[in-house]
Amino acid sequence: MTDAEHASTLQPFNASTSAKRYRPFSFSRIYAITINTVTELTRLKVFYVLLIFALLLIGSSIFMAQFSFQQEFQILKDVSLGAISLFTSLLAIVATARLLPQDIEDRTVYTILAKPVPRLEYVLGKISGVLLLLAISTVVMGAAFLLVLYTREQAVMHATLRQMSGAPPDQVADAMRTIRSSAFNIDIFPGIVIIYLKACLLAALTLFVSTFATSNIFTIVVMAFIYFIGHLQATARDYWLQEHSSGLVTRVFLAVVALFFPDLQAFNLVDDIVAGTAISLAVFAKTAVLGVFYTVIYTLLAAFVFYGKEL
Amino acid sequence: MTNPAVAVHGLTKIFSVPFHRQSIVAVKDLNLRIEPGEVYGLLGPNGSGKSTTLKIILGLVSPTRGRTEIFGRDSRLVQSRDAVGFLPENPYFQKFLTGKETLRFFGRLCGLRGAKLKNRVNELLDLVELSKARNRRLGTYSKGMLQRIGLAQALIHDPKLVVLDEPTAGVDPAGSRDIRDLILDLKRRGITVLLSSHLLAQAQEICDRVGILADGVLVREGHLQELIAIENQTEFVIADASDELVREIESFVNRSRAKLIERRKSTTTLERLFLEATAKNDEGVTKQK
Repeated sequence: MTDAEHASTLQPFNASTSAKRYRPFSFSRIYAITINTVTELTRLKVFYVLLIFALLLIGSSIFMAQFSFQQEFQILKDVSLGAISLFTSLLAIVATARLLPQDIEDRTVYTILAKPVPRLEYVLGKISGVLLLLAISTVVMGAAFLLVLYTREQAVMHATLRQMSGAPPDQVADAMRTIRSSAFNIDIFPGIVIIYLKACLLAALTLFVSTFATSNIFTIVVMAFIYFIGHLQATARDYWLQEHSSGLVTRVFLAVVALFFPDLQAFNLVDDIVAGTAISLAVFAKTAVLGVFYTVIYTLLAAFVFYGKEL
Repeated sequence: MTNPAVAVHGLTKIFSVPFHRQSIVAVKDLNLRIEPGEVYGLLGPNGSGKSTTLKIILGLVSPTRGRTEIFGRDSRLVQSRDAVGFLPENPYFQKFLTGKETLRFFGRLCGLRGAKLKNRVNELLDLVELSKARNRRLGTYSKGMLQRIGLAQALIHDPKLVVLDEPTAGVDPAGSRDIRDLILDLKRRGITVLLSSHLLAQAQEICDRVGILADGVLVREGHLQELIAIENQTEFVIADASDELVREIESFVNRSRAKLIERRKSTTTLERLFLEATAKNDEGVTKQK
């Protein structure tokens, strides 16, 4: 390219396109990073997890056609909600573990933070991207589950109507009510919300671990430990309190343990939903607040560590 | 008195090595002052502290001692980056984005929206001659194209200072010349350029002033022409001189107290030879097609 060619291609900078002046906190910057993160994760084809879920769901519903309808609906709810919980947890850990280390390794973090972007906004944008992806995944999996449940309910109802063609209307109506109550249960919805909040908590905790981890593998291994300890810690805590006095020192120690190993069993409401036990508003609210609290705390801790990190 | 574009005062950076008692001094008591509109070259071998200095100026790494300022603002403050565009060494932008998406993303981070952002993206894609590759993912870009998209993102918010870390590292001579031309164009627009390089010939072509770092210490600094001039020597370049004229000049010099050190035919640069040869070859290929 000669100077003459350059002179013909270069246009002077247009004053009307100059950027706005700096604002200390900007939701639009966080939004830009959020959408960028969702695009990144989507193009990494993490949604293949949803395909596996759909296959599992269809496969299990075919297999369960041999059971009674009460058993079938119970197993379907158990398998589906368990799978949603497992897949969202896996997605939360695997998708988040690579976000910060990959950006640092690829040096994309330099170009982003060399712009007027505070580190807090960068961390908030990244975690918001993961939470949005988890929300989309949970909605898609939840919708697929409800669709399969509805389809099976309708199939059972039609079969029952055919079998009871000569029965009195009262008996038929009773049978239909029994089928509906076995299939749908309003507690499915708060149950799915709690599963989502558990995944949010795990994503935020993974982000925090990744701020000081040396590799993605390290983060995933640490998170696998935390996941299992988190599911066992309530039992261990009860055992400990039986054996030891519940003095101030013990309580502080247990609080510190609970901060780094959250009680994940508290987020397991699937058994109650499958058994048809109603989830009280108090239990739902308490679990939801716990999930939001942990997510916020871990995000702030991640931002704090990342703020002081040498890049 | 106007603020310098970049001011570095007594900068020292020591990296501690985990699990070892030793530490590494990357930069030692560095002082710099870069005026607005200058092209300043920070030169030095690998590991001399160039990249660390740039990262501290950009607030990506914190100094152990000393401070840095950009147009009078402490460079640890995020708002100081409002005036800066940065191209890191060997940038690996997000490969899943296209050239246009990359510029739109960085534009949004700088507060650009709507038609303003669209116009700016188009303007910069034209500037770096990537308009035709705008919808291709960066994973398919060549090294030179990546450097050019990197330069475009550095300019997205119309910065007054552009910091370039090894801008031509790994780029072929033609791509390298394009980047050099873009830097000279920035200079014409009054934009301050701070670049690090170990490619001395290229720095010589574009820099007003240079500083040479060795083991984290600034060992030389000044205007390029002053630094490289040899005080007691003078060069003439004469076209179409006959043998007789050359002999006369030589005998004149010999009669004086001066000493003729060297007489040689002028040569072209290897870069120019390469560019001419590859340009002719390209034309040939096009004609054959």
